[in-house]
Amino acid sequence: MTDVSLTASLRERIKRLIVDSLHLDGTDPESIDDDAALFGEGLGLDSVDALELVVALEKEFGIKIKSNEMGRESFASVASLASFVEGRLQAS
Amino acid sequence: MADRAEGSWRVAVSGVGAVSGLGWGIDALWAGLVAGRAAIGDFGRFDHARHRTHVAAEVPEPDPALAKTLSGRRLSLADKFALAAAAEALAQAELPSLAGLSVGLYFGSSTGGMWEGEAFFADLLAGEPHLRASLLATQQPNGPGDAVARRFGIEGPVETVSSACASGALALGAALEAIRSGEVEIAIAGGADSLCQITYAGFNSLRSVDERPCRPFRAGREGLSIGEGAAVLILESERRALARGVKPLAFLAGAGASCDAHHMTAPEPQGIGAAAAIRAALSDAGLTPESIAFVNAHGTGTPLNDAAEWRAFEHALGDRARAIPVTSTKGLVGHLLGSSGAIEAVATVLCLARGQVHPSSCGGEVDPELGIDLVLDAPRPLPPFAPDGATISTLAALSTSLAFGGANAALVFTRAEV
Repeated sequence: MTDVSLTASLRERIKRLIVDSLHLDGTDPESIDDDAALFGEGLGLDSVDALELVVALEKEFGIKIKSNEMGRESFASVASLASFVEGRLQAS
Repeated sequence: MADRAEGSWRVAVSGVGAVSGLGWGIDALWAGLVAGRAAIGDFGRFDHARHRTHVAAEVPEPDPALAKTLSGRRLSLADKFALAAAAEALAQAELPSLAGLSVGLYFGSSTGGMWEGEAFFADLLAGEPHLRASLLATQQPNGPGDAVARRFGIEGPVETVSSACASGALALGAALEAIRSGEVEIAIAGGADSLCQITYAGFNSLRSVDERPCRPFRAGREGLSIGEGAAVLILESERRALARGVKPLAFLAGAGASCDAHHMTAPEPQGIGAAAAIRAALSDAGLTPESIAFVNAHGTGTPLNDAAEWRAFEHALGDRARAIPVTSTKGLVGHLLGSSGAIEAVATVLCLARGQVHPSSCGGEVDPELGIDLVLDAPRPLPPFAPDGATISTLAALSTSLAFGGANAALVFTRAEV
């Protein structure tokens, strides 16, 4: 498997996690654009969603996310979230 | 500041809204009340097979168009009841927008989003992998009031009272004071609560729930029936309502509160504390028992409440107690707990505005121990004048809320010119 498909499958996994963990009933994971904003505009998530998403990511990927890592850049989009998670998985 | 002498002491009710087991909206509520149709029966919110009793007054599903207006994430069922009642009341008060106005919100709730909180803990116990933490975020009693404030942009004081079953009436008392003092120009007052397993099991454990639909003030009554829903009243000074061309439905003329300081759940049997709240409300309104044309009683249907409440009427209303028609809205929509005082205030306003006292419905003969003139199976027309023969503006109604913890609240409403 190439890095490209690894990244793609990680992105798909994160999209499914967002829909499942935030109970976005009626949202098709595949309809979430890789680069669309998750918070405010785009998917319209808010700070309570962010807290739930962090818990879900920690559980799903067995990583720990500190408060200061929940930055705007890492959590901006599915693409940025996937590279953040990828970095953490490689570091561990 | 309001001044009795200036006639600004009483506050106009310029709009009402309600959600109950009788349906969504004032029309559904009034149609059921005036027909004496109880909304209490089997229900499907949760499996009650293992509970001691099997009746409640459950709010029916809203029609799809209404449901659409109530959609939104992290809204509990009680929040949605509150949003619907507030929207209806604001529309009737002809307040399509609150922008730039001095508005406060005064709400009562006991359970808030406890139903949603129960769902979270049920998932947790079942080992569900994707726990919905946001369900917990809606659990607080302040949830419904906060949801209304967010939806309608209320930027003044937003307060929730949670003093068990007196919450809704105490919230209305707080709203009355806020208008009189000039703290706000418009008050959105009411409450919301939804059915949930903890209150259903709790009242059952206390043996406070009747296996049959509740029978307030009737012989052989065995307890209350739990209901759910919301009610909202828009309050403003009479001058303000008239200046913008809105005809008041009725006036909130006085409020009183007290505590039995007696027992965690049982009322003080002689009704001394409840009588003090009624006297305080009458005094605040500047009226005497002679003005009271009917009472909308707390009337839960528990043996203890109804007996103590009757004693309170005897203490506070004297010889008039036996001559005043009494009704219990709970006999038809059940006990809305933290919002019961609010929906009973709405029922009282509707009775005043429409000139008839709604009946208390089925339930057998009136308790012979009580000298009560219970409005039985048909609505009772209101007299054109106050019982004391004075002017129409003193024709008044009393609404009582007597809660766990001994918290008592009484409200006095007067009729608007018809």
